[in-house]
Amino acid sequence: MAFEDRIAEHKARREKALAMGSKRKLAEFAAAGILNARQRIDYLLDADSFREIGLFTVSERREDRDRSPCDGLVAGYGHIEGRPVALAAYDFTTLGASSSPNASQKFQHTRKAAAENGLPMIVLAEAGGARIPDVMGAQGIARTRSHQRYDRRRQTPWVTAILGPSYGSPTWKAAMSDYVLMRKGAVMAVSSARVTSVAISEEVDPEELGGWRMRTEVTGEVDRACDTDQDVLDNVKRFLSYLPSHNMEPPPLAAVPAGSGDGMRDILQIIPEERSRVYDVRKVIDCLVDTGTFFPFKERFSKVMVCGLARLGGRTVGFVASNPIFKGGALDPQACRKATSFIVFCDSFNIPIVFLTDTPGFLVGVQGERQALASHIMNFNHALEMTTVPTFAVVMRKSYGQAYINMGAHADELAAWFSADVSFMDPGVAVNVVHGVRQKDDPERFARLWEEVSRNTSAYDLAAGFLAQDVIDPRQTRDWLLGGLGIYERRRRGGLGEHLMSTWPYNW
Amino acid sequence: MSQVEVKSEIPGKVIRIEVGVGDSVAEDDALIMVESMKMEIPIPAPIGGKVVEILVADGEALTEGQVVARLEV
Repeated sequence: MAFEDRIAEHKARREKALAMGSKRKLAEFAAAGILNARQRIDYLLDADSFREIGLFTVSERREDRDRSPCDGLVAGYGHIEGRPVALAAYDFTTLGASSSPNASQKFQHTRKAAAENGLPMIVLAEAGGARIPDVMGAQGIARTRSHQRYDRRRQTPWVTAILGPSYGSPTWKAAMSDYVLMRKGAVMAVSSARVTSVAISEEVDPEELGGWRMRTEVTGEVDRACDTDQDVLDNVKRFLSYLPSHNMEPPPLAAVPAGSGDGMRDILQIIPEERSRVYDVRKVIDCLVDTGTFFPFKERFSKVMVCGLARLGGRTVGFVASNPIFKGGALDPQACRKATSFIVFCDSFNIPIVFLTDTPGFLVGVQGERQALASHIMNFNHALEMTTVPTFAVVMRKSYGQAYINMGAHADELAAWFSADVSFMDPGVAVNVVHGVRQKDDPERFARLWEEVSRNTSAYDLAAGFLAQDVIDPRQTRDWLLGGLGIYERRRRGGLGEHLMSTWPYNW
Repeated sequence: MSQVEVKSEIPGKVIRIEVGVGDSVAEDDALIMVESMKMEIPIPAPIGGKVVEILVADGEALTEGQVVARLEV
């Protein structure tokens, strides 16, 4: 064949692959204002930075070769704001992006290259499930083992965006990721509503099965839901902007926005003087951090535990804070799971952690016991014991019982606000339990005993035994944290943690 | 338009009802105040909408998961 013919054939093959699959589906995407796989990549990556792999890959089944461009998965490498990343985008217009042997090998190649070379891994997900008949029969299912890998050692960050119906393979990727986004209207589930309906002989609504509210509020497997593809992709970029490309480097530094810390002057207005009154700890975090930098994780799941990334003096930090406005700040099993996952994540990527505590304790009761509260408290504690990144704790007001231990007692340095109140249990409960006196029965005696059990619970009592390194005015908190970060930089290790939890289970 | 049930996430006692039927509320607005764990804790609107029904009274004891109000969203 003459070169001229080869050039023409090469061009034709490239164009066919780049055109993706069903023209009808492409038109439907456009009409609905939804981006297709290649548009998503273009939106996400720096211009002209995409280096594709597997453009000429097609189905391994001869009869499907002509209708399976890229085998339904577009993959490769590129840059986001000048930093290298690896990515895989499911192309729903090609056989519903159903997972198949060649596409799976492409994914595994990409994730391996990402892990070995220190690139964040991005998954843009949307797939109808496994491809049939490819996976049918004993050999069909058994062979999927040879090209699927489900271990991940947190060498580099993973972020998954669920951008359409996602069943099977993309759902597994989301469950393995550090951060998961979803476009409202997309669905994430083990198998489709149709398959599920047949299997359990019951009509199943896709939104109920795995819509955004279910995933963000009930299971917490999705961190954030957005209205459009573009919003989702902007948040992928924002998530990565806080992180190192891999676990052997510290997170990048950013410029400090003008006005950062100005809110500290007014922080006392957020905190009620009355101890039974609640407030929203997210307002405290917004005052403390560099202006506008708080980026929440699982914001709609277990709202009593606030977790998220932010910057302090340009450095990335993670916040773990109990939020009194929800459940009075009492911590439940879901709060423990959320904090544990987040601590593992921060420790894996060299991100210092700040604990802000105002909690009456763990939410005891039959419901908590039925959900294995004790096991979740210990798992949370185990993660804290294994943490090697710098940690700081601020006891804002009350911190009682085991929750005191979980919410800061492990920290490298702890400061108590002058409003701190630390003990085994709330004085009101203690009077009742220890002395058998209820306020309504004998208010005078109750008040006297309350006074008695409230002794030795102040910030200064904690500091007197060097159990707090300082007692501070709340308005000093940002400066106290900035000073601490400057000291606890793990200089001997170049700012790196030991990553003892790199193989911690997903979703704890 | 659909109706959303507002549930108490905690057991406790109703100490104040902050809204009335017909009021428009935003997500996270306090609808009912509950005393629990020695704290005054709001039951927030799970989503923005209009209050169509309040199902509890001042002083009433609540169980976890009890429906306390309905919103039209």
